[in-house]
Amino acid sequence: MNAGPPTSKRVLRIGVVVLAAALALVLGLYLGQRHSGVGGGQDSRERASALLAIALPDVDGREQALGQWRGKVLVVNFWATWCAPCREEMPEFVRVQTEFGGAGLQFVGIAIDEVDKVRPFAAQIGVNYPLLIGGYGAMELSKSLGNRLLALPFTIIVNRAGEVAHTQLGPLRDAQLRSIVGRLL
Amino acid sequence: MLLFAPVAALGVGQAELLPAERAFELSAAARDGRTVAARFAIADGYYLYRDRMEFALADATLAAAPELPRGKVKDDPFFGRVEVLRGEVIVELRLAQDRGGETVRVVVTSQGCADAGVCYPAQRQTVALSLPKPGERPGPPVEAAPRRKSWFN
Repeated sequence: MNAGPPTSKRVLRIGVVVLAAALALVLGLYLGQRHSGVGGGQDSRERASALLAIALPDVDGREQALGQWRGKVLVVNFWATWCAPCREEMPEFVRVQTEFGGAGLQFVGIAIDEVDKVRPFAAQIGVNYPLLIGGYGAMELSKSLGNRLLALPFTIIVNRAGEVAHTQLGPLRDAQLRSIVGRLL
Repeated sequence: MLLFAPVAALGVGQAELLPAERAFELSAAARDGRTVAARFAIADGYYLYRDRMEFALADATLAAAPELPRGKVKDDPFFGRVEVLRGEVIVELRLAQDRGGETVRVVVTSQGCADAGVCYPAQRQTVALSLPKPGERPGPPVEAAPRRKSWFN
């Protein structure tokens, strides 16, 4: 029976096995992709490249390309004045920028907000790093960088080699921030 | 190994947080030909800002500005005293005219945060509702239309 010519039943059986294997492969790839997130390797370089390729206006309306900070340890923080947890962590960013700016650390804030709201807040806490005005398009950008829930604050840290070293939804604890920055500088 | 590192790096944990439309579930129900009740079911650990809520009808006029329940006062160093709403929030909308037998669209804007330390941008949602004619029973509550675009792509 086994040596006989393939019957239509056997062909069907083989077809089902092949189909199941193909489905398993596709599902495996899909799940693998979903879980890989932001990590090392090519994916993290591609994400960082996408981020470094953008240009947004600063609070004075001057276009600023993120690529100008290539080679530094770059901390890009998506935030808004309507987001209390975002505002709460920013004074620490100011301190860390002061402390490590000379060593090659650069914070950049991308506000999902209006410039008229950003300016007074920046003055109030004395922000010492560039604040760019992103609008909702920047929110979509953050999504492509791993901000699946489109929530704030969302922070992405790019190392000197131009790779995403850390991605964070929600506030960065002081000690955590200093430990990551210390490791990368 | 690298596959697991990024998960650990994701701050408060995206896996535990709800997308905005599930953290703040909006539905609406007709009560009669000129009254609609909009309802937010706010998940535990999440809150909406009272002052950021807007209720309107796309194709009808409201008889008066809707009354929102009082919230819990939070002291915000930048915005001053703000009220936040948790749990269930029901807002009654009274139409200027009886629109029984017609469909109206309730348009709701809201903005809120999670206690875990993240905030969601303001979202505008629409619920289309058929209003009952006199003597008819109003239909069941209608959930806000799902977003065209999935957050999970």
